[in-house]
Amino acid sequence: MVKYAQLVMGPAGSGKSTYCEAMARHCGSGGPGRRSVHVVNLDPAAEELRYRASIDVRELVRVEEVMQELGLGPNGGLLYAMEYVVQNIEWLAEELGDYDDDYLLVDCPGQVELYSHIPVMKTLVEALVRADYAVVGLYLVDSHFMTDAAKFISGALTCLSAMVRLEVPHLNVLTKMDLQPRLGPDDPRRRDLEAFLDVDVPAITARLREQTGPRMEALNRAMAELLDDYSMVSFVPLDLGDPASLDALLEQCDTMTQWAENQEPRDPHEDARDAADPGDSHDDADAGD
Amino acid sequence: MDAAAAAAAAAPPSFPTPKREGPVVCLMIGMAGSGKTTLMQRLNSHLCEHKTGLYCINLDPAVPQCPFAANIDIRDTVKYKEVMSQYNLGPNGAIMTSLNLFATRFDQVLGFLDKRASELSYVLVDTPGQIEAFTWSASGTIITEALSSSFATVVVYVVDVPRSVANPATFMANMLYACSVMYRTRLPLVLALTKTDVMSADTILTWMSDQFEFQKALQSDPSFAHDLTNSMSLVLQEFYRTLRAAPVSALTGEGVEKFFGSVAEAKEEYFDEFLADVERRKKAREEAAKKAEAEQLEKLRHDLASEPKKGPAHARQEEEGEEEEEDAGEDN
Repeated sequence: MVKYAQLVMGPAGSGKSTYCEAMARHCGSGGPGRRSVHVVNLDPAAEELRYRASIDVRELVRVEEVMQELGLGPNGGLLYAMEYVVQNIEWLAEELGDYDDDYLLVDCPGQVELYSHIPVMKTLVEALVRADYAVVGLYLVDSHFMTDAAKFISGALTCLSAMVRLEVPHLNVLTKMDLQPRLGPDDPRRRDLEAFLDVDVPAITARLREQTGPRMEALNRAMAELLDDYSMVSFVPLDLGDPASLDALLEQCDTMTQWAENQEPRDPHEDARDAADPGDSHDDADAGD
Repeated sequence: MDAAAAAAAAAPPSFPTPKREGPVVCLMIGMAGSGKTTLMQRLNSHLCEHKTGLYCINLDPAVPQCPFAANIDIRDTVKYKEVMSQYNLGPNGAIMTSLNLFATRFDQVLGFLDKRASELSYVLVDTPGQIEAFTWSASGTIITEALSSSFATVVVYVVDVPRSVANPATFMANMLYACSVMYRTRLPLVLALTKTDVMSADTILTWMSDQFEFQKALQSDPSFAHDLTNSMSLVLQEFYRTLRAAPVSALTGEGVEKFFGSVAEAKEEYFDEFLADVERRKKAREEAAKKAEAEQLEKLRHDLASEPKKGPAHARQEEEGEEEEEDAGEDN
């Protein structure tokens, strides 16, 4: 049986936990993507969580405690903690066993070092895949850091750098679109944003040429080619306040994991009854405790 | 506070434009464990030996001991452990907050540098251990922009040779990240290939000049099944052409002279090819800050006008105007 998990990644402050909370709520509240969702916190350095985590890696190990007990800095502490998780992978497997029929949102630590430099995240993802999970990776980037063409390219490369080793299908997500100040129709930032979301390669290259010197000319052209034939570097905009935006993202994830093909056909009467009683799905979620 | 508002609020007062005879700022950036701080220590002692005018800045709030003599140390201004307990933050939040607090006072750092500029050749800046705390934060952007619009600035991207050779896929991910840093900062880049005392950097240099050799190495890595598309290797090839690679050993000091040679070349490049863009961006930032200020003043005026007049209370309100303006900035 195939199980499903979304890996939610991205630098600190990109909105990972906020996304997990909003998506979990969205999936529980009816609509086309309705399903029973559980959130897993995989960040041993996480602060207060915005959601109720069904599995919390901090029950196994906390970076702050590691730092105190072993006299390590935040870096060493995080590495130690993540390697501890990998060594105790059975703990994770056992915890996951309780949520076999559920859709998992996995809130991952942000440090890119854990993806590319030290392969702990790769090991964890492999463990999920071995346990029959269809995994889709979401790489979240705060849209406020993406204010011009060069920064878009930079963001796309950051995502690529983290994802290239994980080898799971993935989507780059531009978060906090709702917090973007209203940009006027003539604002160059708006033109940049639109060009990038539409992967309008000629427009992006033209803007890049304005921004960079002759030394980067050939590199810009190579980037344009990469954008042209690599969907890994495009972005999906996300506005958490807009259910349609969440639906659109969920649909893309489902296409990548072929979620719909593996669902039991639904009884339309049951659907109507569920819709009339929105509290139902919540009870289901709590029953897992 | 969002990044744009933060940048506007902390826009430094106008400092002189970079001069060719002035110092070059080296921003040391690299993945945790790449050997940044050790390299800093070696560069520091090398320059001191040669009596070269040097200024060191440590921006890592969480480093327990700074192994080089820093002229300015973020830890003197912000106590990381206290930030953790005072703001009730975890280790990562505390690093970000410490850096934010420091960034708001960065104009003072520029002031110190400016005063000493005539006697300095190098300014070495060590960044936080976790790369994103600097490359993906508003404060990192503010600090980079402030430095690069006042002094010739180059990014020194530190890569650990033994780890890269052992794992070509790791090296590739690291180079994609380095390219990302170059696009973000739009500054010349020097690649410092460290730990050459453990392993020679020749393999890396071959990979960088011959993509077929690199493809071959990638295929021999059993943990990596990814088909490197042509477009991705083309990007990497072109990226290598824009930068300078300097093998260096922090332990023995081998390659340090050549490293500084690369930095000197990158400094010239900064003036010849990057400065025009740096100044354009600076001007755009100043205009945006001015516009934001004007808008806030207008908003304040509007608020005051709609407030009913209440005699003495009204007079007091005008005195507090400045404070309100700041609050308004944070709400946006």
